[in-house]
Amino acid sequence: MSNNAAKHLFIWGSVLCFVILIVLTVDTMGKLDQRAPEITAEVDEGKKVWHKYDCIGCHTIFGNGSYFAPDMTKVTVRKPTGYLKKFIMNPRAIKPDSAMPVLGLTDKEADNLMAFLDWTSKVDTNGWPPAPILASARMDKTAGAGQVLFYRYDCAACHEIGGMGGVAGPDLTHVGSKHPDMEWHIRHLRSPETVVPDSAMPSFDHLTDQELKEIAEYMITLK
Amino acid sequence: MQYQSQKIALNFYTAAVLLFLVQVLVGIIAALQFMWPDFFILNFNTIRTLHINALVVWLLLGMMGATYYVIPEESETELWSVPLAQLQFWATVLAVSLVVVGYIIMGINPQANTQIFGTLLLNEGREYIEAPRWADILIVVSVLLFLLNCFMTVLKTKKFTAVQGVLLGGLTFLALMYLPGMFYTNSMVKDQFWWWWVVHLWVEGSWELIAAALLAFMLHKLLGTEVKVLAKWMYIEVGLVLFTGILGLGHHYYWIGTPGYWLWVGGIFSSLEPIPLLLMVWDAFRTTRETRGVVSNRVGLYLTVSHAIFNFVGAGLWGVVHTLPQVNKWTHGTQVTTAHGHLAFYGAYVLLIVAMMYVTIPSLRGVKEFNQSKGYQAFWWMTISMIFIVITITGAGMVQTYLERLFGLDYVAVKAGYNLWFWIFRAIFGVGFLVGVLILVVDVLTLGKKAAA
Repeated sequence: MSNNAAKHLFIWGSVLCFVILIVLTVDTMGKLDQRAPEITAEVDEGKKVWHKYDCIGCHTIFGNGSYFAPDMTKVTVRKPTGYLKKFIMNPRAIKPDSAMPVLGLTDKEADNLMAFLDWTSKVDTNGWPPAPILASARMDKTAGAGQVLFYRYDCAACHEIGGMGGVAGPDLTHVGSKHPDMEWHIRHLRSPETVVPDSAMPSFDHLTDQELKEIAEYMITLK
Repeated sequence: MQYQSQKIALNFYTAAVLLFLVQVLVGIIAALQFMWPDFFILNFNTIRTLHINALVVWLLLGMMGATYYVIPEESETELWSVPLAQLQFWATVLAVSLVVVGYIIMGINPQANTQIFGTLLLNEGREYIEAPRWADILIVVSVLLFLLNCFMTVLKTKKFTAVQGVLLGGLTFLALMYLPGMFYTNSMVKDQFWWWWVVHLWVEGSWELIAAALLAFMLHKLLGTEVKVLAKWMYIEVGLVLFTGILGLGHHYYWIGTPGYWLWVGGIFSSLEPIPLLLMVWDAFRTTRETRGVVSNRVGLYLTVSHAIFNFVGAGLWGVVHTLPQVNKWTHGTQVTTAHGHLAFYGAYVLLIVAMMYVTIPSLRGVKEFNQSKGYQAFWWMTISMIFIVITITGAGMVQTYLERLFGLDYVAVKAGYNLWFWIFRAIFGVGFLVGVLILVVDVLTLGKKAAA
């Protein structure tokens, strides 16, 4: 390749890539509003509070920032804003060993900041941050009777749900989409081979009708 | 040195290394704050802002100094206006000092960061581009004056060389890509979208163009390699940098509220980003191997090749390991990114500017022979320390990824407990890095002076 050819390839190739970037940028800008809730005056004022106190100097948001303090993207999903507001006004009054200093926010500023954080918590971030595998596999307070039975009978020894569990049997993360029929699951639990030919799964015929029904109910929620 | 006006580069180099020293001092304070948050009068956010802003500014000053050296040599004429270069230098130093004072005031009293004409007075609260709007405008004016001076110099003799073209092209691209960060948007998603245009298209776009141009310049100057050969590979390298880097921007758009197709765009293009960096390593080795005769500035060559290697390792390898969306989903926003940031900036840009200093200062001070041992000492203190800093932060990032992201432990529990030893070692190696920087600063300020006397 001659020097001139290399030069032209560099210039025109780069221009082409930049044009593609601009096209994608225009397309993205048109789609962003549908992926997030409406921006109210409070949310906008809250964003200004976020900038004013240089929150990104310690925290991350959408995973970008300083890695010194927890990520704020989905903070209102698991923690109520009432708690967060109290904490932010005087962190060490709530948690004595907190690293966060008192920044001197006014009541109004704190309210607006909560509105802003509630907004970012509702943005569609393509599933980020992902639910921790262990925590999501563990039974939490929302676990239904079927989920409790699933672990009591150690179904997880052979089956994975959300990345947690054994791999001897099929992954059940989306089994509810594949088999939405409760009766199918009950028949299958009682006698796997009659439903799935050559199945290696043992029969759970010894379970009560009520237990089988509850596990089946849990299965069809896995979509 | 052929042209008296090239001496202006020394002003920029001096300011750059002094600011480098400040950057590392505050870096050590920040490292200690990971263990003791109340260790210093200023909170972590202010210290961290000073750490990353000092980095960006001293590298820019180094690039400007290097360019003021390269342009007259390539154009074979004196700089268009030395007074303008001096004005631009002192105006930049003044503006940077004012911004730093503003950060410190805000650090002591956060309420001082008030809204004025719709923007924040002291700190914009946006990572890397914290400088307030009035300072943004001064920075743009400074860069425009700098570019004007360079372009007018080129026009004096109209000797358009490849190195000059790519160098000034990169600097112009740099100036333009500062603009998307200079407006307010009420959507945090759009805010981060445009903010990445600035940050990514600087460090993985325009800055790499400058690096490739300076690499070619240094190889030519040190080894006497034919410009024609160097230029061809430089074009191929910068071409690949931009083909992969421009759309590689997509790897920042996975999780910030942008559409899902960015996972494909970012994943594919950013996975290819190490290729041009590897090509630069090969280029540096090939050129060195093919050289006949004695290289007098061995430390300059050593640093040049080291820059190429660590650019590939830090920016390339440490970047590509977590660039795929499947991996990044778990590592995004953890210390893994910090590790990549440290090694990438060190390899790609710190070593680049340090190499440029060692390649050009002897001729700026009018000496052929100089004591090279201090240069090696500085390099090894800094490099070994940085490797260990990166190992500790990578370890911390992996522990964080497993415990927080995969197992669901609390962020604070992981940081305060499981990662404590990593923070301790990071701070210790930070002091080792400081030793290297102190040797560097003394050497850059005194190199060649004794011999000249």
